[in-house]
Amino acid sequence: MTISRKCVPFTPFDGELSKSTIAIVTAGGVHLKDQEGFNIADELGDLTYREIPPDVDSSQLMVTHHHYDHADADEDINVVFPIDVLRELESEGFIGGIAKKHIGYMGYTMQLKAMYEGTAREIANEIDRGSRADAVVLTGG
Amino acid sequence: MKGIPTVLITVSPEVSGQMRPPRALYPKGFKIGNSLGRPGMRDLQKQVLRDALGLLTQDTRPGAAVTIEYPDYGEQYEPPRVKTLS
Repeated sequence: MTISRKCVPFTPFDGELSKSTIAIVTAGGVHLKDQEGFNIADELGDLTYREIPPDVDSSQLMVTHHHYDHADADEDINVVFPIDVLRELESEGFIGGIAKKHIGYMGYTMQLKAMYEGTAREIANEIDRGSRADAVVLTGG
Repeated sequence: MKGIPTVLITVSPEVSGQMRPPRALYPKGFKIGNSLGRPGMRDLQKQVLRDALGLLTQDTRPGAAVTIEYPDYGEQYEPPRVKTLS
């Protein structure tokens, strides 16, 4: 199936934020310290992604990405992966909950077709089937 | 038909705009690597995330980013431009 680049894949949001579960998907190269880092040696980029659990200690997250300055994310991962911020919004009742699965990948690639037709769909399926998210916040680097 | 509502926080609105995101927030002047703000600025980070999630419930124009200014961020940066072939 070919997806038209002219078509905006808009999905309506019908719920209430205070009752909704939110997932984070970041292209900022975020992963757990004990997960394999992204392959920054490959000039074509890395098409893989990492699952990040909802109860992650944010101090156990890191960035592997060589196409932006992630010094600030190294200091506070929430500037690209706002998991602690999301928790605070949950405790305040602004959102209903934290999704069961979040995703980090490295948003640099020279393999656009493989990213768009492969990785992006795999990530969407991970979120759709495994996270119970009502909506997703996307961030880049 | 399945689909998941999304909202993008982008610091490169022109570059992101090429992919026509369904909903997007551009926190004006934030530099690359500071999607939510600067390290430790939790109140600012919360406001950015509240504003981004809020776009889910608003009538936004699909494919276009909503720009919001956050004076507490401090020094501002020019976003990267799309490179065109000459």
